[in-house]
Amino acid sequence: MMDIRKRIQSFNLQKYVVYLSFILILLFFGVTLKDKGFLSGGNIMNVLRQTAMVSVMAIGMTFTITAGDIDLSIGSTVALSALVSALALRSYSVIVAVLAGLAVGFVVGLVNGVITAKVRIPAFLVTLGTSGAISGLARTITNLEAVPITNDSFNFLFGSGNIGSFSTLFIWTIILTIIGHLLLKKTPFGRAVHATGGNRSAARYSGVHTDRIRIIVLIISSLTAAMAGLLYAGRLHGARYTLGEADLMTVIAAVVIGGTAFSGGKGSIIGSIIGSIIMGMLNNGLLLMGLTVSEQMIARGIIIIIAVSLSLREKLER
Amino acid sequence: MRNTKKLFMLVAVILALVLSACSNGASSEQAQDAGSMDNQESTAVDLASLGIDCSEYSAEYAKGPNGEDAVPASDVTLSDEEIAEIQAGNYTAALLWAGAGEWYNGLTDGAQAVFEELGIAVVATSDAQFDPAKQATDVETALALQPDIILTLPVDPVSAAQAFQPAVDQGVALVFADNGVDGYAAGDQYIGIVTGNHYGMGRGSADLMAEALGGSGEIGFIFYDADYFVTNNRDFTFACRIAQDYPDIKIVAVSGFTEESKTEEVASAMLVQHPEIDGIYVAWDVAAEGVIAALRSAGQTDVKVVTEDLGANNDLDMVMNGNMYGKTIDLPYDIGATMARMAAYKLLGKEAPSFVVVDLMKVTKDNIVEAWNKALNMDPPQDILDALAK
Repeated sequence: MMDIRKRIQSFNLQKYVVYLSFILILLFFGVTLKDKGFLSGGNIMNVLRQTAMVSVMAIGMTFTITAGDIDLSIGSTVALSALVSALALRSYSVIVAVLAGLAVGFVVGLVNGVITAKVRIPAFLVTLGTSGAISGLARTITNLEAVPITNDSFNFLFGSGNIGSFSTLFIWTIILTIIGHLLLKKTPFGRAVHATGGNRSAARYSGVHTDRIRIIVLIISSLTAAMAGLLYAGRLHGARYTLGEADLMTVIAAVVIGGTAFSGGKGSIIGSIIGSIIMGMLNNGLLLMGLTVSEQMIARGIIIIIAVSLSLREKLER
Repeated sequence: MRNTKKLFMLVAVILALVLSACSNGASSEQAQDAGSMDNQESTAVDLASLGIDCSEYSAEYAKGPNGEDAVPASDVTLSDEEIAEIQAGNYTAALLWAGAGEWYNGLTDGAQAVFEELGIAVVATSDAQFDPAKQATDVETALALQPDIILTLPVDPVSAAQAFQPAVDQGVALVFADNGVDGYAAGDQYIGIVTGNHYGMGRGSADLMAEALGGSGEIGFIFYDADYFVTNNRDFTFACRIAQDYPDIKIVAVSGFTEESKTEEVASAMLVQHPEIDGIYVAWDVAAEGVIAALRSAGQTDVKVVTEDLGANNDLDMVMNGNMYGKTIDLPYDIGATMARMAAYKLLGKEAPSFVVVDLMKVTKDNIVEAWNKALNMDPPQDILDALAK
């Protein structure tokens, strides 16, 4: 009896480790920066707004990594989808432009998925390749020139607007988090994703269409990247081929810090969002502390290593 | 046992955070003394505490990396006989740029226009994506085509010495944009450097800021925090001009950046601590996009931004009377064209000037079309023309 109770206790604590790190970092900056506006409403909304794109992409990446694959092409998809919708907005309505941008994500994900699952090449290599091709495409369609967006409705809906005191970026993050969480945790599809990532052959033998699952999760990942592209375009009132290029590592870090197992089979959407916010808080807090860029990088690296060792350590002990 | 280990790890996290705060407490205290954390009375930042010595930036023009004097680009010309002589040579050229974008397109267009006139074929173009290793690869690859000329922008002056040595050994006519290369001398390994008027641009931006603010106000200074000749010259002469010639304008907040895509975070933090700011200077256009996004999010529609280089997104904002007030720009089309002519000098056996400077322009809504025509040899995008017509 005592053994079982202890085991349940330790299991729950492990689940909450990422939230503990989040609270610790929040407390730390809240106390040391209380005169510098860290906990002000405006600053908190800043962090939530700035992390929105990474959070949205982390939702898609959580599905992919949980299924045992990975998607390295999200950065390039962001740029291409942003440029395509910006170009579409010149002659068409907001709805058409949004669908065009999302269609980019759908097609990229489909290509990634089919080559990975049917041609049987590791997702790492496939998405590495498509990343280059999509990047090149993004550069050519406007010959490297930026495309401004003057459509106020688009800009309001996808990044620059506020509903009450909440940025539309934040609202999108909440909506997509809820959808992602329910999909991954409460549906047969979500269970199939876990099974595919946990043990692909066992999943296949128990009737899971693992090929189809892998294609779908890669589509989900590229769709969230396309969505992030729309948010970038709305936030900056324009698109440029460099959008999203620095985000891949941040997205993967958010997912891993959040508790999703890199080897597959275990995923948490909420954890990934918390992971993304932790990194946004770190960036924001270290900036407000007045550190130079180099000092910020060192501090951020050390804190992330410690936070990750904390959550990863737990898994090894089991 | 397990719980003890977890507790230990938690304590380690707290300790690490506390330690990082303590060891960085010194620098944040410095920043506090240098800048202002008190919203009630903002004090101007002391430039000396940032390592900026304004006496070093007092000359009219920047000197070249080896101390060369600046020569205006209009001095680099070719006579009709010289043009004919080059045409007879059937030479080839490679364009190996450091990055890509509207500015580099300007360089390419300018260079190609002159090359066409001279009957020189461009056999290779590449963009090193700001990676010194990729630039070395680009050089090796291009040399396989045995070009007579290479026009380039060295990504990193230190590693470029090694990267361009094969081109030097092959006797290629090398012309640099913006940067020199450590250990290389003009007339020796390379012909010369063509660049913009950095000091003039920094000072021009200061004048634009004063214009935007009506001569007085408090501003933020977002500069490129790296040892990079071009931006250091421009950024620091801006700060010095403000400090020396505009006593009623105070720089109250300073923040460096190294990634142009992360400036929104930098600007948001600045606005949290200095909500009274009237204007912000940003080192260049793409970095300014994030700053403007931050201003929009904070509802700060009156804060004016001044930066360098043209760019479609911010130019549209400028024309629509948004946050972007003005920019100083160099003329990439002229830089590219001048570089091509300098290469021709070497082929003719003529001695070229070592450090050549093109004109600058101060750009606001009123002369934006002229700016695009002169700097990039094209009209601004249709959105900008439409907005101007309204």
